[in-house]
Amino acid sequence: METTSTFEKIFRGTALTLVVLFFMFPIFWIFLMSFQTNETILRIPPSVVFTPTFENYQALITGKLTSAAGTLDIAFMRNLGNSVFLSVASVAVALVLGVPAAYAFARHKFRGSEDIAFTLLSFRFAPPLLVLLPLTQYFQWLGLSDTYFGLIWVYQLICLPLILWIVRGYFEDISADVEYAYRIAGHSWFATFRKIALPLAGPGSPLPVCLPSSLPGTTLSSRWCLHRPTSSR
Amino acid sequence: MASTANQRKAASGFRISRKALPYVLSLPALLVCIGILVPFLTAVVYSFQRYRLSQPWARQFNWGDNYINFMSDPGFWNTLKISLIYAGTTVTLELLLGLGIALLLQRRSTLNNFVSIMLLMPLMTAPALAALMWKLMTNPGFGILSYFAGLIGLQDFRWASSPDTALLTVVLVDIWVYTPFIMILLLAGLRSLPTQPFEAAALDGVPRTFVFFRITLPMLTPYILTATLFRLLDSIQQFDIIYAMTQGGPGDTLTVFQVEAYLNFFQSTNVGRSAALMVILWAITYFLSNVFIKHWLRLRERARGES
Amino acid sequence: MYEKEKDLIGAFLRGEVDRRGMLKGLGAMGITAGTAGTLFNMMSTNAHAADFDWKAHSGKSLKLLLNKHPYADAMIANLQTFKDLTGIEVTYDVFPEDVYFDKVTAALSSGSTEYDAFMTGAYMTWTYGPAGWITDLNEWIKDPAKTNPNYAWDDFLPGVKNSCAWNGTPGGVLGSEDAKQWCIPWGYEQNDLTYNRTMLDKIGGKVPGNLDELIETAGKASKDLGGPYGIGVRGSRSWATIHPGFLSGYANYGQKDLNVSADGKLSAAMNTAESRAFHAKWVQMIQESGPKDWSTYTWYQVGTDLGAGASAMMFDADILGYFMNGGTNKEAGNLAFASFAANPAATSATPNIWIWSLAMSNFSKDKDATWYFMQWASGAEHAIFGATKMDFVNPVRQSVWKDEIFRERLNKSYAGYVDMFDKSAPGASIKFTPQPLFFDVTTEWASTLQKMVAKEVPVDEGLDMLVQSIDTQLKEAGLG
Repeated sequence: METTSTFEKIFRGTALTLVVLFFMFPIFWIFLMSFQTNETILRIPPSVVFTPTFENYQALITGKLTSAAGTLDIAFMRNLGNSVFLSVASVAVALVLGVPAAYAFARHKFRGSEDIAFTLLSFRFAPPLLVLLPLTQYFQWLGLSDTYFGLIWVYQLICLPLILWIVRGYFEDISADVEYAYRIAGHSWFATFRKIALPLAGPGSPLPVCLPSSLPGTTLSSRWCLHRPTSSR
Repeated sequence: MASTANQRKAASGFRISRKALPYVLSLPALLVCIGILVPFLTAVVYSFQRYRLSQPWARQFNWGDNYINFMSDPGFWNTLKISLIYAGTTVTLELLLGLGIALLLQRRSTLNNFVSIMLLMPLMTAPALAALMWKLMTNPGFGILSYFAGLIGLQDFRWASSPDTALLTVVLVDIWVYTPFIMILLLAGLRSLPTQPFEAAALDGVPRTFVFFRITLPMLTPYILTATLFRLLDSIQQFDIIYAMTQGGPGDTLTVFQVEAYLNFFQSTNVGRSAALMVILWAITYFLSNVFIKHWLRLRERARGES
Repeated sequence: MYEKEKDLIGAFLRGEVDRRGMLKGLGAMGITAGTAGTLFNMMSTNAHAADFDWKAHSGKSLKLLLNKHPYADAMIANLQTFKDLTGIEVTYDVFPEDVYFDKVTAALSSGSTEYDAFMTGAYMTWTYGPAGWITDLNEWIKDPAKTNPNYAWDDFLPGVKNSCAWNGTPGGVLGSEDAKQWCIPWGYEQNDLTYNRTMLDKIGGKVPGNLDELIETAGKASKDLGGPYGIGVRGSRSWATIHPGFLSGYANYGQKDLNVSADGKLSAAMNTAESRAFHAKWVQMIQESGPKDWSTYTWYQVGTDLGAGASAMMFDADILGYFMNGGTNKEAGNLAFASFAANPAATSATPNIWIWSLAMSNFSKDKDATWYFMQWASGAEHAIFGATKMDFVNPVRQSVWKDEIFRERLNKSYAGYVDMFDKSAPGASIKFTPQPLFFDVTTEWASTLQKMVAKEVPVDEGLDMLVQSIDTQLKEAGLG
């Protein structure tokens, strides 16, 4: 272990505090705002003195927002449910499809493996709008627009390459020797994959799983996919 | 759970040849993604057409005209310039900041682990939402950041609404959202480095700056490259933050590729120009990712050769 | 709505009740002579034309695409009446405004048959019409077999109705003989002055009567009120910045966006001496007494600032002032309205208008049934219901503006609103030249204004660049 001087301790402490302050303050501030009425939020200059109110949350949960322009129906809870479902389903599908592929790219150098891996990655980097425009039309013809199936499929283009490339790195970091030993003992490939490779790569998995979790708020969705109505009957 | 013996039997009854295995494993992922080629090619065809939705009768192939027009269009060059500046600035700053934070948090301790998880929160915020949060905080009246700016003497700081500070403001939001991405990738990298070289260096009394530049940094390079690649290609395509904060304004200060293409399609319904812009953006990202992947592969090969 | 009232009038028409009994009964129901008159006219025409078959499409179903808006709310609140009247089932999707028009473009450009009718603005039909996405409604309006005799197409305010009709020729005159009726006006907004009475009293300023006075009063308000700024106008990089106060004032000086030559060619018209002078004043006004972050301002910020007491006046949609003068807004009740003619030489205001309208999708599977919905939703009965019971302002029918209940309601809580309407309505219409590059022209115009306000370019130079760029684009599109 390295020795740390007092100066370094102070420096580290200050730096860490500043970092936490910068990254957490906006979230803290918005959190405070969420307990205020429009009136107290709009005060000039801003102030932290206010009587907390739960009416914003109440409005979200009950779906009735009382505002200047009358009572608004907002389908927040349903939208939230949609978002959660879409994120979870998309990431789950991407893991099921992506982890085996990542394993294949990491363990087996096969003909065209790098080309295929790169092709998959390049989908991630196509500007979303480029494919979006024609995709809207094709989806309309195929009857896929505004369906969960269609959306999850589109999300794979973002999730899959990310998971593939990150998980591939984890597999490559794990020595293949353990697996060989297990296989020489007469176990099938699948058993090896399930019993050895997956558990070893496991600790790295929260990263790719949490990365796309804000998915339904990205370009694709906020501008097009999640053009789901705020209310409909 | 079935016994191992049973499994072994079942597996031997359904065995995939060793050669075909990798293809079988990667095929589903490829199939799911390959469908995207159809709309992609369609868009490329659009980019070679004179195609406005509001003038369907005038739709025809004009081949390279959309692209040739860009040459003499100051708006296009502005778009290219702004996009590159934006991507360059955000990625550089995020990389430096992300690396710094990762180094701060490198040692495993309850506090460090807690902080690293906490820092992921901005990353979990949808970028468009983050932009709205910052918009609220930079409001000249009730915005807390404008208030702070006033306290330190910047009475009339106009954030995203002035052409002088608009870029700075959106870059700040981008940094807030995406630095944690780089931080967490590099932190994972730092913590997975073998300990022997560092212990040896400590025993020999090698200066810490030397250790950092000669051991840590080279060993971390694959991670840095991955992080840079993902961020650079995302950043040059930034849409949400800029559109939500300024719609590309004030003036033409922030008309990056996707904002310009979006307005071209949805407002002007000029499909041809919009598609041509996107194809150029795609070409840039393709080129950049190629360069990065080549480097990345070489580094990985070398790292594996050494171990 | 008005079922009881209608029963009573019906009874009178059938001779079951005498006239005095009817009027007494209506009075007891809280109906004034004005509304009673409207209802009576409606009912008596009904009696004459009882053979219009509202049930002809019973059992069918329609789907609407709606923007989140008080107009849509008023319609939804009254929708059951339509279902009962016709036996047609109606479903709908509502989207928030920031994505609404993208959704419309996405649905229509892919030829989706999902929606039969949708809300739109007149400007958008300049894209939708030529693109073949919407239907010319003249075919239905003029067919007595398809339109109920009470519909009274002549009842619509002429300036508003004509603004929704265009012959499809770039630069063509709105409402010309050969024009196609791309949409039916539903509710509309005139751009006039809304001001905070308390604040203006405090600084001893009188209500500005032209642009110079407005700049002066706004400057005084910014200086003397200690906090609030003088005048709110929109400033985001979007067409929406051009169409409200800005274009209304611009048109008042007799200025136009585009010139149309004898052979139908279009060219930009913003570089005249008058236009330069107007731009210079407008830019000066924002620099001196506009909101600090003007370049991000949409109608929402302009309105909420006035409602929250952060600004003293706004030159924007009258109904925005209407909404800010009610509800839980801090300044509710303090706002007043005035017809505003920017040009001192002009005799009256010439507001540009925004018209929320109903359009019929060309991909609708049953256009006749869709028209049944459209004529009901834009009919006099729903307009009266919306105007008196909900916030369906401004109505597009002259009869509603004559309705006493409606006028009284406005006069009671919205100082000067009716007077403003009476003064502005004759000159109210769309002042843009209809053409397919509407959004290109206006977005670039807004961007140029932003550069001028930020002092990146001087006004003259900015206008020259704008004119040059627009001319290039018009030529490129084969219009110039």
